[in-house]
Amino acid sequence: MKKLISVFATISLLAACGGGGSGSSTVAAEQAAVDNPAPAGTPVTCGENCFLSAVDVEKVIAQAVAEAEARNVDATIAVVDRVGNVLGVFQTSNADTFITVTSSNVLGAPIVGGLENLNFIPAPLAAISKAITGAYLSTGENAFTTRTASQIVQENFNPGENNVPSGPLFGVQFSQLPCSDFSQRFQNGAASTVGPHRSPLGLAADPGGLPLYINGVNVGGVGVIADGIYGLDKIITDFDQDLDELIATAATVGYAAPTAIRADKITIVGKTARFSDASVTDLQSVPGQSDPIATIQANGRGAFVAVTSYFDGAAARAGTIFGQAPSGIRPADAAVFTDAAGQSLDAFVFVDQTNQNRYPARNGLDTPAGSTQNSLTAAEVQTIMNEAINVANGSRAQIRVPAGTQARVTVSVVDSNGNILGMGRTRDGPVFGADVSLQKARTATFFSGAGRPAGQTPADILRGFPDPLYLSPMTLPISLANLVTLASPAPSFSRYVLDTQLFFGNGDALESTGGPLAFSDRAGGNLSRPNFPDGPASGRPGPLSKPPGEWSIFSVGLQLDLSYNAIVQHVVHVLGAAPDVPQNCTGNTGFAATDPFTIQNAATNLPNGIQIFPGSVPIYRGDLLVGGVGVSGDGVDQDDMISFLGLHRAGVRLGTLGNAPPEIRADRLGIPGEEARLRYVNCPQLPFIGSNETEVCDGL
Amino acid sequence: MVFRKYVTALTLIAVLPWSAAMAQGIVPASGYCVEETENPQQRRRPGVPIDEYELPKCEDVPDEGRISAWVDPVNLGPHVPDRWRIVNSIGINTNLWDPYNGQNWLKGDMPVWGKDWFYSIIAISDTIVEPRRFPIPVGIATSSRSGSLDTIGSGETTILATNLILENVFYKGNTTFKPPDWEFRFTPVFNINQVHAGEKGILNVDPDKGGRSNRRRRDTFMGVQALFADKHLRNVSDRFDFDSVRVGIQPFSSDFRGFLFQDSQFGVRLFGTRNNNIFQYNLAWFQRLEKDTNSGLNDVTQDLRDDHVIAANVYWQDFPRKGFFSQGTVIHNSNREKGQTEYDKNGFIQRPASLLEERSRNYEVTYFGYSGDGHFDRVNLTTSLYYAYGHQTSTRLAAKEEKVSAFFFAAEASMDFDWLRPRLSVLWTSGDDDPFDDEANGFDAIFENPQFAGADTSFVIRQNVPLIGGGGVALMGRNGIIPSLRPSKEQGQSNFINPGIQMIGIGADADLLPQLRLSVNWNYFRFDTTKVLEAARQQGPIDNNLGHDVSMALIYRPFMTQNIVFRLSAAGLLGSDGFDDLYGNEADTPYSVLGNITLMY
Repeated sequence: MKKLISVFATISLLAACGGGGSGSSTVAAEQAAVDNPAPAGTPVTCGENCFLSAVDVEKVIAQAVAEAEARNVDATIAVVDRVGNVLGVFQTSNADTFITVTSSNVLGAPIVGGLENLNFIPAPLAAISKAITGAYLSTGENAFTTRTASQIVQENFNPGENNVPSGPLFGVQFSQLPCSDFSQRFQNGAASTVGPHRSPLGLAADPGGLPLYINGVNVGGVGVIADGIYGLDKIITDFDQDLDELIATAATVGYAAPTAIRADKITIVGKTARFSDASVTDLQSVPGQSDPIATIQANGRGAFVAVTSYFDGAAARAGTIFGQAPSGIRPADAAVFTDAAGQSLDAFVFVDQTNQNRYPARNGLDTPAGSTQNSLTAAEVQTIMNEAINVANGSRAQIRVPAGTQARVTVSVVDSNGNILGMGRTRDGPVFGADVSLQKARTATFFSGAGRPAGQTPADILRGFPDPLYLSPMTLPISLANLVTLASPAPSFSRYVLDTQLFFGNGDALESTGGPLAFSDRAGGNLSRPNFPDGPASGRPGPLSKPPGEWSIFSVGLQLDLSYNAIVQHVVHVLGAAPDVPQNCTGNTGFAATDPFTIQNAATNLPNGIQIFPGSVPIYRGDLLVGGVGVSGDGVDQDDMISFLGLHRAGVRLGTLGNAPPEIRADRLGIPGEEARLRYVNCPQLPFIGSNETEVCDGL
Repeated sequence: MVFRKYVTALTLIAVLPWSAAMAQGIVPASGYCVEETENPQQRRRPGVPIDEYELPKCEDVPDEGRISAWVDPVNLGPHVPDRWRIVNSIGINTNLWDPYNGQNWLKGDMPVWGKDWFYSIIAISDTIVEPRRFPIPVGIATSSRSGSLDTIGSGETTILATNLILENVFYKGNTTFKPPDWEFRFTPVFNINQVHAGEKGILNVDPDKGGRSNRRRRDTFMGVQALFADKHLRNVSDRFDFDSVRVGIQPFSSDFRGFLFQDSQFGVRLFGTRNNNIFQYNLAWFQRLEKDTNSGLNDVTQDLRDDHVIAANVYWQDFPRKGFFSQGTVIHNSNREKGQTEYDKNGFIQRPASLLEERSRNYEVTYFGYSGDGHFDRVNLTTSLYYAYGHQTSTRLAAKEEKVSAFFFAAEASMDFDWLRPRLSVLWTSGDDDPFDDEANGFDAIFENPQFAGADTSFVIRQNVPLIGGGGVALMGRNGIIPSLRPSKEQGQSNFINPGIQMIGIGADADLLPQLRLSVNWNYFRFDTTKVLEAARQQGPIDNNLGHDVSMALIYRPFMTQNIVFRLSAAGLLGSDGFDDLYGNEADTPYSVLGNITLMY
């Protein structure tokens, strides 16, 4: 017996011996970074009217510089407010002038094509894009970062989990594009601060872009690039020590996101979102004790830098108060956005610098079936927006805390030619959803255009665009004279059309001879996945995607290719060798030998590009396509439901329009050689707050 | 003539009790002697001390007093080679197909090699037909039919499966009450299974995989459920208390009802008894085998998992009261699978679980347990109580550990009234009330197989209902009672961040006929805490009450043996608010039907 007892004792001891320490010290340190030191400029008593003062911006930058110096590296740092006003771009003395775009720094063979390997992007553009991403994805109820973005835009969700479907926001990196007709631009000299602003490279997936908070209010974002690579994180099962992210983390001390609303407290289909792999406990500087920015500048350790079309380089600026007219987003007229009972929906609208609603509901500019009589009316547009926002207000959010809070989104309605007929949003929706909802509305409308008159069909419009001209990595020294186009791959829009027709086994697909077919963004987005069906690596590439070796998040196929030439023009513009890109991403000739960067056949249909993740449906009168409604800002299933159900309820109220008749929806389509069908929408399982109603879209 | 000598000696011993009476004037006992010193093998009987009396050798006895034993020859009939074949001599012949009649070398009735090497085979065919219904998700991107606009899909699935179990035992032994000196066992199991599901992406991660309509999966597998050698090391008392060691794939159960660890795993086990079997002990080390996904059987073609189980337990018979077994146990589970990624045969990730951070981890957890089984007067009672303590890799913070601290309690009382046995069951496993803190308080087993509260008759215990929209995990595992949110109990890691469960149930077993038993169960389940579910589902308050699990089973044994058993059970889950919060209040009532035919040779 004694022997047995001694064995017990030995085994008990095994249980007691531990590994690393517990996490409570890290948690405490993170909480301290939220609270201390108090913001330098704006008092924390600002309530909901918090904003980044110039002093705050300097403080954020100085803390980043301190960490970079402690690590003996150079960095480019950008700070923006919540609507994308660039408040400061700062470089330490030997910071890289240019960065390289690549998805291949971690795994596998280099990918060729798209933005891959471009090495002449000015570093400030990367930093600004990262700062904007941190600001735009975050709200008062969720704090997301570029690392969050990286997690949700890849071909599998989670990245690295083989054969599962793509990230919920697959393709969102190509939103807020510099050529968007919706996004505002920095007007040098003018006093205007209205946003939301464009982002030079779209949204970033490269860790090192974090949101900034004062008193729990999202007031902007900070973006850092120090490692010279604008990439993503493909392996999310480890904990990185990413240089950009560490420096950005130092920058946020005192302005850090409240720990309770960080991405790592939020799950998406059961999987926790990533916030940051870096912790304040990893820092090598003492952020609260950083030198003032003036000292840093006086010592020649760094300087504000001018960035054409973004920042004048003089000094830090103050940001706007979000939700008030100078930010470009303010409360809507309470009498316009109402539910069926006339109750105000607490909606917000986008305004210009004269505080005028940029997109009040208006009549369609199109002539469906040859008649303006068929166009959407302003009243119908308003009803659709109201019903959609009403659905959102009653729905449980996927990406916000505390759990059970309501969904917050932007709703866009377009006519059948993609003209904006109205935009509205809920309180505190993430800013990125504005441009994205518009992209979604246009994408669904555009791809549902088979059977329209010649010249207005997706096939005709696509074939009319100049093909994208991919650029080679530049040989040193970096100079515009050394720009060379890439011989291969050389995508063409005709090929995308043809591939799509082959995919459906129908030469009339997308053509005027084709029958009406309603593509929601969920259905159509499948064509833009690197594998069909979405997920399993054994699937062939979707017809609007790219084959292995050419596909990455920087080379996604049609979505990027539509805007590629315009994005390049904008980069060349910032470098000083081209005019700024027009407010239309399509029809750009790109870096062509003759007539470079000119517009040919730009279409109103897709001026801010397409979006390829769910959240939009086309609008029909009977089986006549008259427009589209797009929703963005919450989980994709919620976006899907808000657009679909919002339109359905508007249809019930109006009796004049509605969703596509079920028999012409894309989920009716058989795909040759495939057992799988497309899905039209996927409404969440228990979407409504305070209700156990389920299957809310069934049969509609 | 050795045989003759034995007979002589045995006869002598046999008459000893009467020797006192016979001594009256006939022959003094001291005159008895034997020709040789060799004692015949002594017969031992449990509870009867060995007679230490030895006859003197005849050469040591003075001639005048010496008397040779008088033996009346007994007619033993025809010569038989050994006692195993005695019945042959009286005309009962071997019938290999009918082990109940005649001596059968396939059933260990007579040696197959030498004098005491026996072979026994048990062949079992176990077939199930299992139609069931519970909510399953529609494929995210693609579906099997048009018009699927919502998340919850057609939940009907049907499982057909047959296991052919061949248990081969080869042992060297003596009598039935003494453990064999050597035992070798090899139990291959041949499995064929087929599943139909109403949605794509359920049976395989690739919605294009599968048979007709891509919603069928058929699979076959051969698993090894036992492959061990057992050496009887020694007897430590005259009552055959012993020590044995067993090496290889062997069954082990941590407690009476399989709450913590009941499996056939590869390992080394030292076990035995003491004090006339009052105490039994086990000291065991196991390294777990990978399981085949669709059959749940051991896959010996894969590397062993980096998962070790070290177990020590003592059973104490008739403690604290006669008729009641107590058992104390300490089991340590060391899992070092951090950095590994494991997909199952159908392409779904198993390790790390597709839940929350989805980062791989190690854990070191020690379970301290007490279990009891038996009766107090007329009340039958079985109970288990475990406390789990240890630590695991934090999946949220780099280079940090989380404390694991969780408990488990279960008890079932019953009483027999003639043909009726009513039962009362309670169970409580602790849940984790904050998935984002640095403590994991949800109890999870190593490999549970609970025979409790109706076991696989119960819907909740039997069915692996997916946590839709909450990661690639099941709310409850198949054949498990803990809502451990594992991808599967076969291949997943233990998950100590789970909601925990409380159960109260009443049931009854009714022996309607000698051949027919009816069991009925009503079990009420509620989560210990739903914080983990709320986090995984990103959903506001989720009610704790899961629902009423109502089930019944008919067991028909036409020959009153286990050789042919028909079982038909049906269960339904009447969801309460917690179920509605997870799956909606419009879901069709989940049910499962289990038809089972077991044929045993």
